[in-house]
Amino acid sequence: MVGITFNTRCVRSRNSMPSDTNKLVNRRTVLTVTGSGGIVGLAGCVSFGGGDGGDGDGGSGGGSSGDGGDGDDGSGDDGSDDGGSTPDTISIGQPAALSGQWDFLQPGVSQGTDAAVAHINEAGGPLGAEFEVIRRDTAVDPQEARTVVTQLIENDGVPAIAGLFSSEINPLWEFLQDFEVPMVTPWPGSTFLDTRGGDKATPEDLSDDEWVWRTVVGDTVHTSGSAVYALENDLDTLGVLNGTTEGERSYVEGFLSVYEDNGGTVAEQVEVEIGGSSYQSALSRLFDAEFDAFLVSLPLESAITALSDWSDAGYGRQPILSDPLAQQDLVDQVGSDIYGAWAGSPGQSGPSFDTFEEAFSDQGDAEVNAWSPPAWDAVQVIALAIERAGEATPEAIERNLGPVSRDGGTAVSTFAEGKEALANGDEISYQGAATPTNFTQHGNVFGSVTISTAGENGFEATSEVPAEDIREFVADGEY
Amino acid sequence: MGLLQEAVFGLVTGSYIAIAAIGFTLIYGIVNMINFAYGEYLTLGAFVGFLSASAVPLPLPIAVVVAMIGGGIISIVLARGFFTPINDTGPVPMLLTSIGLGIAIRNAIRLVGGRGARYIETETTTFRFDGVPDVAIGSVDLLGGFFVTSEHLVVFGSAVAVFLSIHALLTRTDVGIAMRAMGDDESLARVRGIDTQLIRDSVWVLAGVLAGLAGVLVAIQTNVSSTTGFSHILQILSAAILGGAGSPYGAIIGAYVIGLALALSTAFLPSSMTGLSSAVAFAILIAVLLVKPSGIAGTEVREA
Repeated sequence: MVGITFNTRCVRSRNSMPSDTNKLVNRRTVLTVTGSGGIVGLAGCVSFGGGDGGDGDGGSGGGSSGDGGDGDDGSGDDGSDDGGSTPDTISIGQPAALSGQWDFLQPGVSQGTDAAVAHINEAGGPLGAEFEVIRRDTAVDPQEARTVVTQLIENDGVPAIAGLFSSEINPLWEFLQDFEVPMVTPWPGSTFLDTRGGDKATPEDLSDDEWVWRTVVGDTVHTSGSAVYALENDLDTLGVLNGTTEGERSYVEGFLSVYEDNGGTVAEQVEVEIGGSSYQSALSRLFDAEFDAFLVSLPLESAITALSDWSDAGYGRQPILSDPLAQQDLVDQVGSDIYGAWAGSPGQSGPSFDTFEEAFSDQGDAEVNAWSPPAWDAVQVIALAIERAGEATPEAIERNLGPVSRDGGTAVSTFAEGKEALANGDEISYQGAATPTNFTQHGNVFGSVTISTAGENGFEATSEVPAEDIREFVADGEY
Repeated sequence: MGLLQEAVFGLVTGSYIAIAAIGFTLIYGIVNMINFAYGEYLTLGAFVGFLSASAVPLPLPIAVVVAMIGGGIISIVLARGFFTPINDTGPVPMLLTSIGLGIAIRNAIRLVGGRGARYIETETTTFRFDGVPDVAIGSVDLLGGFFVTSEHLVVFGSAVAVFLSIHALLTRTDVGIAMRAMGDDESLARVRGIDTQLIRDSVWVLAGVLAGLAGVLVAIQTNVSSTTGFSHILQILSAAILGGAGSPYGAIIGAYVIGLALALSTAFLPSSMTGLSSAVAFAILIAVLLVKPSGIAGTEVREA
């Protein structure tokens, strides 16, 4: 029962941002001897920036009501800091794939995140506070993600989250909405989010907000880019080999939607169960049909087995791969027959990519992957939203994510530039490392698509489909 | 669509399953337990084979032999540690123990070896037989050109060698005859002077050897990971039950029925249903058991 009480208070502190730090210290002293569960909860509150929350008296940015209420507490969204108290530390949460089948991607995202945090702190931090990230492992397991998100928000008291995968967000959608905490994530490509998330282009009105934003282009964009590239290269008839899980099907649906709408034809589609010891029967069936190229959407290990079978059988023709398959392992195991296969993946070259790249390499030895620049962007826009709001509450951040990123203000490529422009009373438009980061009404971003082709040296970028070319294939309001 | 080519694929898939299913069904028939941890025996065998071929490194044929020996040792050690002490508790506690042991081994492998896949380097040669004439019935070609790869031949050849060896063991050796006697009636076998514990140990070793072989063959075709064996356990179990639990010959038949069903259903089901090939294999299993509860070659329904 004690733990429940403390968790509740932690949520309230998140909303109220009280200024009386001494009161917090005294209360902590009492709680320290009361129970370890309470200590954990309170420690989370402290990491957010102080405040016991129960009787917060406002005083932050836009005149927070301090009552732990549920929303419209009047954040300072005019870009000014009215002199209200600011926390010493502002922490955001990062659910992460520190283990599990996607853990090989996390080092690049962690380093991108940490580089952004270091960059922000060098520029003085949002509202002059020390900015930090609390990272917890979900193993990309929805149930674990549910626990981690709850811990981050209710125990650690973070006002925003910079993480979560499609396979966590989709099944937990309603659960995540209930928190009313902005979640800006570099991971999800799912078409599920095409028309979900964002502020619906009404930043001041939180009633229609869906709280999830993504700084990586969705599958719709890069599958469209791949389909456009296939058609431009006269690959007019297609065979499809895909797995039966949601991710593989979603990729194929996105690709075929644009491909078939623009004159492409699917000659044969074969679905297979993942993890099979052989895909020869499926390939035999697929290659009975006549087509110019075949699209493979399988997890990497199954794709290696299937494409090794394809190589052994000597079926030939042009392979097109889903973006997670552009891996060195695939080339190493399948051999030279895979040379020439290509995959379209989200471009890594937004306007501020060079700035990101320099900060990233200074931060550690991890390799940049497709989700590293979006991770940098997610942290930057959260920090800029806090700076513009003048306070670090979930509602204030949510209201300011759109205004700091969309077209219309002074273009800034880093938090430092944004902080200076905001201090001068200017509106800003963050230009990201992965994309220009102009959030659509549904919290999505457009960007170019990089075509990587397999060769002796693995997958190398060989072409780029500009964002403008792709945008015409995605209906307004549908992304 | 060539039926002959699909038959080749089905026979290869059936061969993987058959080698493992023989070991699985021997344990069922003689130790009288369903060993759900058997998939992990394949995984451990695959890892032994991978380490032998890659880390040492040994030539692949020798690595396969090392994997078989390693599988046998692992099997008897696990049996002595977890199953022999509860031999007399009946099949249900042993079944539950095997489920728990399987989970523990699988996660231990994942903790130590990580989740990533490893690959055994092999060179594959493809042999084509394009001169076979077409014999078409509707859209189905009964013959037609086909191909086999050196991997196919190794898998099928290994399976045939195992079948002959098992047949010789069960019919020409004292240990094999004692195994059959125990499978029929353990009490009577003991009365006739058979050292039943020794025979049980022999079965554990033999099952481990077969699991090691099957594991490394699957690894050559796919990869080595913590789920290499687990992903095949349902097919192995189904083959053993379909053929008649406890019967090695039945397990061979059951394995090839499932292998062919998987290949043919992928080839001939409507496009929207090709992902359901495993379901078709299990539907056949259910249908056979409804008609003949003891399985294809079984003569009795054991209490388990």
